[in-house]
Amino acid sequence: MNRVVNVKWPAGPATSVPLRYGLAVVSVAAALGLSLALTHFHIPQTFGAFALSAIAVTFWYAGTAPGILAAVLSSIVRDYLFEPTTSTESRLLFDLVFLVFALLMTQVVRGRNDLQLRVAERTAELTQLNDNLKREIAKHNQVEAELRLSEAYLAEAQRLSHTGSWAWSPPPGDIRYWSEECFRVQGFDPKGGQPSFEEFLQSVHPDDQARIVEVIESAVREKEEFEFDYRIIHPGGEIRDARSFGHPVLGPTGDLVEYVGTIIDVTERRQAEKERERLREAQADLAHVSRITTMGELTASLAHEVNQPITAAVNGASTCVRWLTREDPDLGEAREAALGVIRNAKRAADIINRIRSISKKGESKRQLADVNELIQEMNALLRSETNRHSISVRTELDPELPKVMADSVQVQQVMMNLIMNSIDAMKSVDRTRELAIQSRRAEDRQLMISVSDTGVGLPPQPTNQIFDAFFTTKSHGLGMGLRISRSIVESHGGRLWAADNSPHGATFSFTLPIPVEALEFRAKPSDAHTNV
Amino acid sequence: MSCHKESKLVAIVDDDDSVRGTLQELLRSAGFYSQAFESAEAFLGSGHQRETACLITDIRMPGMSGLELQATLNAERCKIPTIFITAHGDEEMRFQALREGAVEFLPKPFDDEVLIETIRAALNR
Repeated sequence: MNRVVNVKWPAGPATSVPLRYGLAVVSVAAALGLSLALTHFHIPQTFGAFALSAIAVTFWYAGTAPGILAAVLSSIVRDYLFEPTTSTESRLLFDLVFLVFALLMTQVVRGRNDLQLRVAERTAELTQLNDNLKREIAKHNQVEAELRLSEAYLAEAQRLSHTGSWAWSPPPGDIRYWSEECFRVQGFDPKGGQPSFEEFLQSVHPDDQARIVEVIESAVREKEEFEFDYRIIHPGGEIRDARSFGHPVLGPTGDLVEYVGTIIDVTERRQAEKERERLREAQADLAHVSRITTMGELTASLAHEVNQPITAAVNGASTCVRWLTREDPDLGEAREAALGVIRNAKRAADIINRIRSISKKGESKRQLADVNELIQEMNALLRSETNRHSISVRTELDPELPKVMADSVQVQQVMMNLIMNSIDAMKSVDRTRELAIQSRRAEDRQLMISVSDTGVGLPPQPTNQIFDAFFTTKSHGLGMGLRISRSIVESHGGRLWAADNSPHGATFSFTLPIPVEALEFRAKPSDAHTNV
Repeated sequence: MSCHKESKLVAIVDDDDSVRGTLQELLRSAGFYSQAFESAEAFLGSGHQRETACLITDIRMPGMSGLELQATLNAERCKIPTIFITAHGDEEMRFQALREGAVEFLPKPFDDEVLIETIRAALNR
């Protein structure tokens, strides 16, 4: 690397020319003065020594040219002031001494200058190195600060999510890393230092220890990931639910180096799940009670509905017997009548099954359901009830309706509640009693089911109040029907609302979301169409 | 205005398809000529009431009920011997029907012998 080193010429020779040559004159003059003074005190022959000093000083401080001037001046002064009488050889000898001395000084000064230059170069290099080092240190400090910040964020994230991270080498290795959150989750004191695997195992609920060891050993054997749920007994005796996940890290040759993984405290999550489950059960119980209550009110109508096909079957059987017991039995007619018996008996069984499935207390199960089919079934079941009150039923069902993900019994319960409310609202009115049930696609990937009537309309209270628990205008029922209907619809991701009709009656509508698959299925043909 | 009593037509009024159909078949196997209507309104609109010798009707139907049909026919001075068949008739309803001139009040499902005998009696009146 070629570094440009900026070196200043050392200050050695005096900067200004008159000063440098002046130093030559002054120093020789001083040597002369001193020598003359000493001669006065009877100390002769000192000029030579003083002159050499003057030459040396001039060379050192003023440079080569003034030094030579000082040597020449010294020669002249000596020759003409101190030794005018001596021989030419003797004078030449002294001049030679000055010359040699001058040459020597030239070398000394050059050596000094070289040395100064090298020192300056070295100093510049070192200064630069020093600067670089300072920059490196600054950079390092910044990186370290960033790292510390990132670590702080990570620790915070771990704390918030109750997720600790660890690294562990299988035996003969041990735990290599144990994050702050691991200490907290596992109930260890951070001051106690990084725990051993044995200590970890000791903090696990005794009933879970053997299982954990088995899971880990099997994973290590297969060099596979592992995951297990376990309970931790904290020092205070509190039992926490946790889940650990480990991922194997393999070396370049495929050997197992270590596992890195997490420990998550799932206690709160578990409790919330349990609470939700309990709530779901309570809602299902309530919905069931409400269904049974409504079915109880419908007993007479339902009995009638079952009685119709039974009557038809009995008629058919009687007919069959008559054809067989005639003087001239007609087997063909008898057979037709017998087939009718089968048909009607099955129809009776179907109705009973429908009633049973609605009355049954089952787990909520969501599956693809045809809403139109549900409407028609419910209609058939409630036909006697509408007949009883001379209500005509009109249905407007969109035949293109996509299926929805729903609990059929619950959706039918909503329909039953709405239809029963409509029937109640029309019982006492003297005009045309008409119940209209409509199904259609609505915006926002929803389908909408509406039940309209020509009854007394909504009560004067704010519309939303009718959805409150125990709100009822009837002398019968729990006052839970609309409340339960709304919670059923909302649990399916839909909405239930009511509006007054003009001029009479009310309309209750609810939506159910269309599953994404059903949308895609329907979107394809139209896409193809627009591309043509 | 009065009704013809010479014909042997038995009219059936019931909103339930299968009950209506099987009842008609039963009457055919017993040798009667019958016609079936899905509502009281359809029967009244058909004009057959004037030649009906016996009427078998359900009570609870959408629109006009069997009892209302009986009252309408009475008002028209068209007294047809009427047999009521119903799945949920109470005593009061039965009493009202018989007072208005019903010849029989049968709960569903009914014994075919009783029905046939009643029709026969009605036709021979």
